[in-house]
Amino acid sequence: MKKRLFTVLVVLLLTAALAAPVFAQSAADSGKASGPIDIELWYGAAMTEAGPPPSDWVGYSVIKDKLNINLKLTALPSSEADQDVKISAASAGDNLPDLFMVRREVWLRLVEQGLVAPVDDMYAKMPTRTSVQYDEDSRAFTTIDGVSYGLASPGSIQKNEGVLIRKDWLDKLGLSVPKTTEEFMAVMKAFTFNDPDGNGKNDTYGYGAFLELNNYEEGLGRRLDPWFGAFGVPGTWNLTKADFGLNVRKPAYFDALSFVKSMVDAGVIDPNWLSYKKDDFRAAWKQGRFGIMREQNAAYAATSNYAPFDKNFPDGGFVVADPPMGPNGDAAVGVYTRAFRIYALRDTISAEKKDAIARLLEWMSSDEGYFLIGWGVEGVNYTLKDGIPVADGVPDPEYAFTGPKGQPVTQLRNLVFYNGKVELSSRYPTYVTATSGKTMSALDVLRDFQSRSWVPTIGADTLPPPGTDLKRFYEQSVAEFITGRRVLNRANWSSWVAEFDKLGGKAWEDAGREVAVKNGLLR
Amino acid sequence: MKPEKRLIPATSTLWREIKRHRAIYLLLLIPMVYFIVFKYIPIWNGQIAFKKFMPRQGVVGSPWIGFANFSEFFNSFYFWELLRNTLMYSVGKLLISVPLSIILAINLYECRLPFLRKTVQTLTYLPHFLSWVIMYGILLVLLAPGDGLINDIIKFFGGRGIDFLTNVRTFPWVVLFSDAWKEMGWGAIIFIAALMGVDPTLFEAAMVEGANSWQRVRYITMPSIQPVIILVVLLRLGKILSVGFNQMYMLYSPSVYSVGDIIDTWVFRGLQEGKFALATAVGLFKGVMGLVLVIISNRMAKRISGSSLY
Repeated sequence: MKKRLFTVLVVLLLTAALAAPVFAQSAADSGKASGPIDIELWYGAAMTEAGPPPSDWVGYSVIKDKLNINLKLTALPSSEADQDVKISAASAGDNLPDLFMVRREVWLRLVEQGLVAPVDDMYAKMPTRTSVQYDEDSRAFTTIDGVSYGLASPGSIQKNEGVLIRKDWLDKLGLSVPKTTEEFMAVMKAFTFNDPDGNGKNDTYGYGAFLELNNYEEGLGRRLDPWFGAFGVPGTWNLTKADFGLNVRKPAYFDALSFVKSMVDAGVIDPNWLSYKKDDFRAAWKQGRFGIMREQNAAYAATSNYAPFDKNFPDGGFVVADPPMGPNGDAAVGVYTRAFRIYALRDTISAEKKDAIARLLEWMSSDEGYFLIGWGVEGVNYTLKDGIPVADGVPDPEYAFTGPKGQPVTQLRNLVFYNGKVELSSRYPTYVTATSGKTMSALDVLRDFQSRSWVPTIGADTLPPPGTDLKRFYEQSVAEFITGRRVLNRANWSSWVAEFDKLGGKAWEDAGREVAVKNGLLR
Repeated sequence: MKPEKRLIPATSTLWREIKRHRAIYLLLLIPMVYFIVFKYIPIWNGQIAFKKFMPRQGVVGSPWIGFANFSEFFNSFYFWELLRNTLMYSVGKLLISVPLSIILAINLYECRLPFLRKTVQTLTYLPHFLSWVIMYGILLVLLAPGDGLINDIIKFFGGRGIDFLTNVRTFPWVVLFSDAWKEMGWGAIIFIAALMGVDPTLFEAAMVEGANSWQRVRYITMPSIQPVIILVVLLRLGKILSVGFNQMYMLYSPSVYSVGDIIDTWVFRGLQEGKFALATAVGLFKGVMGLVLVIISNRMAKRISGSSLY
């Protein structure tokens, strides 16, 4: 009896073990099927708060009828970290989909591991799309040793953030828009201690921020970059020929860090800033907690984003300010690079599927695909006004491309948008706010932001990232200097830089230099 | 035993046994499949802990590299700090959450007001079902240095605001007590179940003898549920190097990395870099450590109290 039970268990285990590779195997390439070709696409959602295109989305049938493609969509997680993990896990299990969006750091590793297919032959098959999406910079972004391993579409708009300051608070306190770091500090103190909102409570602060880090905006991240810009060390890298290197290793970084520390010590920065996540930060300025910040144009001025602030402070308002100017005349909102979204193909893809993907992407950039993917169906999701898609005039506003039921059908729009005039005019229409009746335009704000001082670091996002331990050491130490856990003085800072180098900081800089020189990124 | 064996008809087969007890076997099937698919089959893939894992070459085809992945972990600049933090939270949670769960269970068991008991039970279970994302939002409302409720109270009485979430002194306590708050009610279930199994005549006899509530708890309740307490502690020791990735990932930030970075968060950052073999090596290390601890503590429990897991 026991022996038999043991035999049954062993058989069960062996059966399961044999069946395991079947579960682990990637979906068989069905490119040879006679019917529509299945294309599995993992996309980055345009609006993370909205759902995916519904199963009866007209795009599915159009793509099937016209292109003979059975499109299967999966939205990637909204956070970049989770996206990376999903793509990495799929690659480890050899389960990458046919076409997928991927961040460059992860993509680089996939290329090293031979898990993505070359796409050089696809450009010629997509003449329209290539002309609007894949320019020389785009191809360079995905080219390694002369071979392009991904299709890089234009990403977020360059220089779309800026320094904003509460104009109503300035007026109430009889102050003018500050220009230098000293003037900014004086205004921040007034905003913190002089009750700028007049509610009789000590509940306002000069500056608001949160930690928002990426490989080209390390340390304290982009929300505090205007202060580092004032000392000539914004972003992670200095990509000039004369002074190339990691900004954190430069003496001016100490001065910038000291200035930010003085803001913390003076109590003019919202004390919650190290605890805030992005949504907390955005909720805070809408509740009138601070008077100066670096914010993105749409997050600030788009209809739904500005509405809560407008409701809370109908007499309030921000103005765009120049970034603070430092002692040597330096000023920058931050750094910018040419952002691209990489879409890669798994390496085992069949020629037939590759052709189908080229067909699909080329159609997406045709007039039909561009408007269908970007805005939906004319007369249902949008109407045209002077050639610009608008939400006005549709029979049911819920189905307008800006409405809750219309948004899901435009989830793939980042696959077709290239930051052209039509898109920007449509995306950021001029409108009148509901409560205060102010005329707002996120596009005007964007143009204003772009006209301010920025430091170009094109290609900084293609430089090698630091190792896990070094990255932690960098981020943790800078935060500790700011919070006072480490004493910030020149001697301590020099020791820290030496330790940073010992842990691999210098090697990281050298690796960055090699890539920058090789790819002609120095200016 | 032999005569019994002869009583079993020769035709009695395994399948007959299974058929006779089919309901039990059916119940057994689901956990068996679960364990085979999710616990035993992955053991095969555990070999990548000793390999330079290349997805294209697969688990078997990837080259062996010995203990290089383990070396990378042990030689990490932060290894000892990660280990210290992980053990600190693991032991801390054991020392705080388990006693609180026991106290809650006893209080609920002793409570003679059904409405109060049910209300408290529901309220203490509820946080278990909230994700750490939601919990973080609640903690921020309570603990934010600028306008958190607790800090408002501190300031009201003339104190200075405390940056609970970003200060290395306060952060560990936030981690330990937020976990206790979230899991105390859920953790009490097993102790309540154990209390339900205690013979009520023991309590009645004790009351007749004049024992007060505290004496009943001390001399009847605690000894009765001691095997369950040992079981719970032993099971938790098996996972001593897993202290709640979700919680730490939500709560920590660079300013508290020195006390907030644990093995799992370090591994997660490695996973973001595609270091699957390293993650597997760390997982294996954690598993072996847990196994060793369970064996040692089981023997100790057996020797000291006569009660053990196996």
